[in-house]
Amino acid sequence: MTNIVNTKIKKLDEYRWLLPKTGPMRVPGLIFSNEGLIKNLQKDQSLVQVANVASLPGIVGYSLAMPDIHWGYGFPIGGVAAFDLDEGIVSPGGVGYDINCGCRLMTTRLRADEIRPRIKDLVATLFRSIPSGVGTTGPVHLSKSEEARVAVQGAAWAVKAGFGHMEDLQRTEDGGCMEGADPSVLSSRAIQRGQKQLGTLGSGNHFLEIQVVDQIYDREKARAFNLTEGRITVFIHSGSRGFGHQICDDFLKEMHRDYAKGALSFPLPDRQLACAPLRSDLAKRYLAGMACAANYAWANRQVLMHLTRETLLSALEITPSELGMELLYDVCHNIAKKERHLVDGQKQLLCVHRKGATRALPPMHPLLPEIYRRTGQPVLIPGDMGRYSYVLSGSEGAMRESFGSSCHGAGRILSRTQAIKKAKGRAIYRELEDRGIFVQYRGRQTLKEEMPDAYKDVSLVVESVHGADLARKVARLRPLGVIKG
Amino acid sequence: MDRKALYTTFDHTADLGIIVTGTDLKDLFEKAAQSIIDIMFRKRPLNGIESIKVSLDGEDLADLMVRWLGEILYLFDAEQKIVSGIRIVKVKRTHLEAILDVAVFHPDHHEIATEIKAVTYHQIQVTQKPDGWSTRVIFDL
Repeated sequence: MTNIVNTKIKKLDEYRWLLPKTGPMRVPGLIFSNEGLIKNLQKDQSLVQVANVASLPGIVGYSLAMPDIHWGYGFPIGGVAAFDLDEGIVSPGGVGYDINCGCRLMTTRLRADEIRPRIKDLVATLFRSIPSGVGTTGPVHLSKSEEARVAVQGAAWAVKAGFGHMEDLQRTEDGGCMEGADPSVLSSRAIQRGQKQLGTLGSGNHFLEIQVVDQIYDREKARAFNLTEGRITVFIHSGSRGFGHQICDDFLKEMHRDYAKGALSFPLPDRQLACAPLRSDLAKRYLAGMACAANYAWANRQVLMHLTRETLLSALEITPSELGMELLYDVCHNIAKKERHLVDGQKQLLCVHRKGATRALPPMHPLLPEIYRRTGQPVLIPGDMGRYSYVLSGSEGAMRESFGSSCHGAGRILSRTQAIKKAKGRAIYRELEDRGIFVQYRGRQTLKEEMPDAYKDVSLVVESVHGADLARKVARLRPLGVIKG
Repeated sequence: MDRKALYTTFDHTADLGIIVTGTDLKDLFEKAAQSIIDIMFRKRPLNGIESIKVSLDGEDLADLMVRWLGEILYLFDAEQKIVSGIRIVKVKRTHLEAILDVAVFHPDHHEIATEIKAVTYHQIQVTQKPDGWSTRVIFDL
């Protein structure tokens, strides 16, 4: 369990740092960052985690880290790693407990000047109608057979059940459905945990935000994304809830048991990195279970979007065409996927792990839906509740350097205890209100733990991603109202 | 027991870590369970309405600790049950038996403090010290 690696990094250029291959590392590490952000990295163990991931069998190219990298468990948050299908492994810890935790952004016809005077009431109404916080149950209670359909069909199940429209599916990564999902690999515990949690936001860093389009960087792409300055957008950050957590947990334990029996012939640098060879039956079963959770998460965000639409329609007493709510895109940032990438000039099918990283496909990529073929994939980057979120578009650089990946958010800078300490004696609620942001939250500590100071400035993270050409800035969104669990 | 005597926390950027010590393995596992309950709930039931028998097997003590604390999480997340009493019947390297007194969570009477998504294996330790046992666990929040 000891880490005999040197975590001294070497600056390559303005946006790239190399973690040279030492000790058990099979490949070097490559960190996308900038001078301002890189200093924080030395304070925690995230570079050790980049090195640990680099020591896993079958890793291809580099153990990568996005500019929002911070200390996670097993993989660093913001970590990307691709594995060879014959020699490599899949690691549930490289996906995370919240499988397909992700973001969904909706545009509307509403203008900020219409909404600002009513924002306090609107936030209160949304807070009542969107189930959030720990231990809440959703608007749909699923029978076991219905839950299996959710796990196989994903967002399409929700659309068929009346939550949203068919056209939403093409605006969702993978059409809101990951192939290969097989509910027969799931434990009864996973099924039980999924039955009542569909259509719930969750707690911690999950949120729903009413925002205004604040600045446009690329007019043409913003037009294609239906983003107009001064218009209202709605941003949802949620995942697969207890269903995904249980699936991750079940397979981690199984991989542990196999490891203890000597199934893998290499030392694990961290028990959370327990993994299985991609060729093994266990890996295939994990990927089939992970796909169930990914699909559940897409259905969850589809239901949450529908609840938001219904709430806004009744609260504002307007028609659907006056609201004009359209899904811009839905992306996942905790996932493992089989994707084709160029390795030494050859196209190769790899298993790409993204742990707190967003897929970012460039223009003309074959996996893009027709509507985004010319712009590249919308990349949704939430910031903290007091500053900004960003919409970017996938760029060629990501295909060359990061297996088509970009950052996923601001990234924490303070631990939760440090944040609570820093918030002592301050009325965070009032501070946000002074900036024109109204927040409703459930957990006593949520607001302190999640206050803006707890996160890196997302603008710095986005500048690095833009500068490194992993994704390009399209628009900036500013929060007006926030719901937290 | 006041929480300071029960466990100490250590900083982890995204999550939360705790260190618990016990005079023997039974004491360690009981205190670790009390610690996770203390982190999860601010107001919780004093008495249970039902007793649940728990029997767990692990690869070693560290694995057993993750499974044991995970059991308490599962009871709440899947069955909305809060553990109010813990009796460790026996614990050895790869096996644990316990009786848990549980009550059903009621939002009007009980208050949640922190959502723990999972008990992680990240840097998990269960170690014997000259004066007893110690564990170090990181939770995914």
